[in-house]
Amino acid sequence: MSPTPDGTASPDGSRLPAGQAGSGIVVALLGNPNTGKSTLFSALAGIPTRIGNYPGVTVEEKLGRFTYRGQSIELIDLPGTYSLVPKSPDEQVAVDVLRGRLPDVPTPDCVVVVADATSLERNLYLATQALELGLPTVVALTLCDVADEKGITIDFAELGRRLACPVVRVVAPTRTGIDALGDAVLSVMHSPRQQPQGLDTHLAAVHPRHEQAAREAIARYAWIEELLSGVVHRQPPSTRPLGERIDAMLTHRLWGTLVFAATMLAMFSSIFWLATPLMDGISSVMDWVSGLVESLLPEGAIRSLVVNGVLAGVGGVVVFVPQIAMLFLFVALLEGCGYLSRAAFLMDRLLCGVGLGGKSFIPLLSSFACAIPGIMAARTIENPRDRLLTILVAPLMSCSARLPVYLLLCGAFVPNIPVGVSWLRLPAVVLAGMYAVGVATAALVALVLSRTIFRGPPQPFVMELPGWRWPRWPVVLERVREAVWSFLQNAGTLIVAVSIVVWALSSYPHSDAAIDADIAATRTALATRLAGLSAGDSDRTDVAEELAALDTDDGLAAARRGAAQRHSALGWMGRLVEPLVRPLGWDWRLGCAAIASFPAREVVLGTLAVIYNLGDIDPGEEEGGTALVRRLRAATWDGTNRKVFTLPVALSIMVFFALCAQCASTLVVIGRETKSWLWPVVTFTYMTVLAWLGAFATYQIGTWLGG
Amino acid sequence: MSLEQVAIGSTARVADVSGCDSTSLRLLEMGLTPGVNVRVVGTAPLGGPLELELRGYRLSIRRHEAARVAIAK
Repeated sequence: MSPTPDGTASPDGSRLPAGQAGSGIVVALLGNPNTGKSTLFSALAGIPTRIGNYPGVTVEEKLGRFTYRGQSIELIDLPGTYSLVPKSPDEQVAVDVLRGRLPDVPTPDCVVVVADATSLERNLYLATQALELGLPTVVALTLCDVADEKGITIDFAELGRRLACPVVRVVAPTRTGIDALGDAVLSVMHSPRQQPQGLDTHLAAVHPRHEQAAREAIARYAWIEELLSGVVHRQPPSTRPLGERIDAMLTHRLWGTLVFAATMLAMFSSIFWLATPLMDGISSVMDWVSGLVESLLPEGAIRSLVVNGVLAGVGGVVVFVPQIAMLFLFVALLEGCGYLSRAAFLMDRLLCGVGLGGKSFIPLLSSFACAIPGIMAARTIENPRDRLLTILVAPLMSCSARLPVYLLLCGAFVPNIPVGVSWLRLPAVVLAGMYAVGVATAALVALVLSRTIFRGPPQPFVMELPGWRWPRWPVVLERVREAVWSFLQNAGTLIVAVSIVVWALSSYPHSDAAIDADIAATRTALATRLAGLSAGDSDRTDVAEELAALDTDDGLAAARRGAAQRHSALGWMGRLVEPLVRPLGWDWRLGCAAIASFPAREVVLGTLAVIYNLGDIDPGEEEGGTALVRRLRAATWDGTNRKVFTLPVALSIMVFFALCAQCASTLVVIGRETKSWLWPVVTFTYMTVLAWLGAFATYQIGTWLGG
Repeated sequence: MSLEQVAIGSTARVADVSGCDSTSLRLLEMGLTPGVNVRVVGTAPLGGPLELELRGYRLSIRRHEAARVAIAK
C-alpha cells in the first residue's frame, strides 16, 4: 500500500465521486470464464450481499461488501467474458458495468482482472483490453498452484512492469495472496494511471485486408506474445500430468462416451431416487401440519382455505426443493471439476441435429425428473437463443409427476400381453412409448422453432475445455443455496397464489340443495343400472358396491364431496369444455380432472377419485389405486351403459398428459428465467394445442383400428 | 487445407481465419490467429466438435467452424 502524505490509508478523494466516498470504493471482478473468479469472490467478500439480475436482462448480478484496512469495498462480480467486444448479453453487461452505463449498478472505481496463470496468453487478451479503459487496474493471477504443477514459471514483477499495473499471485482456496491483492487495489487507487504501450506497433504490422476488429485481435495476440516473451517459462514436467491423462480418457470417443453415460445415469437416478425420500419427508411434514390445523380450526370455509388452499400450495412449492438442490449440487460439481464442458462437447453433435447445442443436454436430461430444476439449469447455456429453445422444450420431457398417471392407466387399461418376446409386455412398451412421445415432440418443436422464429445466423460453438480441478465446496454450496432461494423467493409466492385460486374454483359456489339433488340422482342412476345388469355381468359387483357405499357414513361423505366439486365452478368449467374434450373420447368428468390438473398435473388422480365419489383417498398407494381403477373401469357415460374408459381413451389421456403444460410452477419458473411473460404464454399455448391434437389423433386412430 | 482436415494428434500452423462475422472474430479472440500452432487433440463421437490445444489451453469448436481456419502447409 502506498502511504498517503499524512500517513493514513484514507483515499485522496480525487478518484472517488463525492456521492460514493461514504460508501467506499467499488471494485469490479473481470475475467474469462473458469478462472476461479467465483472462488476469489468468496475469498474476498464471503457470502454475496445481493444476487439478482441486471436490469432488463437475465444475466446474473452478484454484489458483495467487505472492509480491508478500514476501507469499505463494494465488490461486483461481472459475468465471465473473453473479450470487451461484446457478442452476448453477458459480455454486453460486463462492458456496460465497466463504463458505468447501467442504472442501479455502482460505477467501478477499480478493476481486478482475474487471469488464469495456466493460459496467460488468452487471459491477457481481456486484461489488456481492460487496461485500455483507463480505470485503476490490478491483475490477479489465479490457479498458480496448477501452473506450478505444469512447470510454468512467471516473473510477476517484470509482467507488472510491462503491463504498467500490479500483478498479484493468488491461490484463492488457501487465501494465499488475498492481502497482497487488497493492498494492490488500495495502492492503484492513489497512483497515477499508466497505459501499457505497444499495441499500435503491432496494429500497423497486420495486413490491411482484415477488417478493424479482426486486425485488432491479431495485433493484440502478437503484442501479448511480445509482452510475455521472457516473462513466462514452460518446463514441461517429465511425466504426463494426471489431468491430461484423465482428459484423454474422458474425451475418448468410446471410453469417454461410456463414462459420460454412466455419469449421467448416476446423476439422473439420484435426482429421481435420492430426492424421493426427502420429498416424501416434506409431504409427511405438510400432512402433519395440515392435520394439526384441522384439529385446531373448526370445520368450515377458513379451515378448508388454510388446508386445501394455502398449505397445499406451500407444500407444492417446498416439495420441489430436494430436486432443485440435488440437480444444482451435481451441476456445480460437474462445472467445478470441468466436466460440464466435456459433456457438452460429447453431446453437441446429437443436439445440433435438432437445432440445440451440447449444453442443452443436462437441462433436458434433468427435466425427466422435473422440468423446474431443468429449466433453471439452462442458465449454464451462454447462448441466449439455445437457452430459450431449451427452456421452451424442456417441459415436454416426461417428468416424474406424469409417471403415476402412466402407471395407473397402463396397468388398468392396456392388455397385459407379450410383445414379441415373453418378458416384454405391452403395458411396459406403452409406458416407454409415452417417454418417446415427449422426446420426439421436443425434437420436432426444437427443429421447427430453430428453423422459423429462432432462425438466424449460425451460432458459434467455440467453447473452452477448462483443465481438470477439484470443485470448491464454498462455490458449489453457494450455487445450490442460490438456486433454491431464487426458486422459493420468486416462484413460491405465485405458486401458492395459484393453489388458492384452484381451491376456490373447486369449492365455490357451494349449494347444499344441489348436492342433495345430485346424491339422489346418483342413487337412482345406480339402482336403474343395477336392475338392468344380468346376474352374471362382471360390473354387477362394482355397481352394487357403489350403491351400498351411499348408505355408509364415509361413502356418503365422499359422495357429497364429489357432488360439491361437480357443482363448483370447476364442474361448470368441465361441462363447458365438454364439446372440446369429446373428440378426445372424454366425458365432462375427465374434462374437469384435466382442468383441475393444469396448475399441477400430480393432482389428477386425486381429483378423479373425488369426482368418482371415492373421497380423499391416496391413489398412489396400492389400496387407493386399486379402488380408483375399479371405479374407473365401471364408469359409464351419463345415462348410458357405455364405458368411458376404453383402451383408446386411456391412451388419449396419457398422450394428453405427456404433452400438456399442466404445471403452473414450470410456467412461473419459465417466466422468471426468461424475464418475460411472453414465453410462459407461448409454452402453455403450444403445449396445450399439441396435447389436444396428439390426444385427438390417438383416440381417433385407436377407435378406428379397434372398430 | 483447413483445420477440419488435420489428422488427430498432429499439429498445424494457422494461416488465416476466413469470414468477417462474430464467429470468426470469436475464433481470433480465442487465440486462433495467423501463425499460432494448434494441436488437434481429439474429436467427439458421430462427427462432433474438435478438441484443440493452443496457447496452453484446450478449445472445442464445431467442424464447420474449423473449416474456416486455413492452415499453412
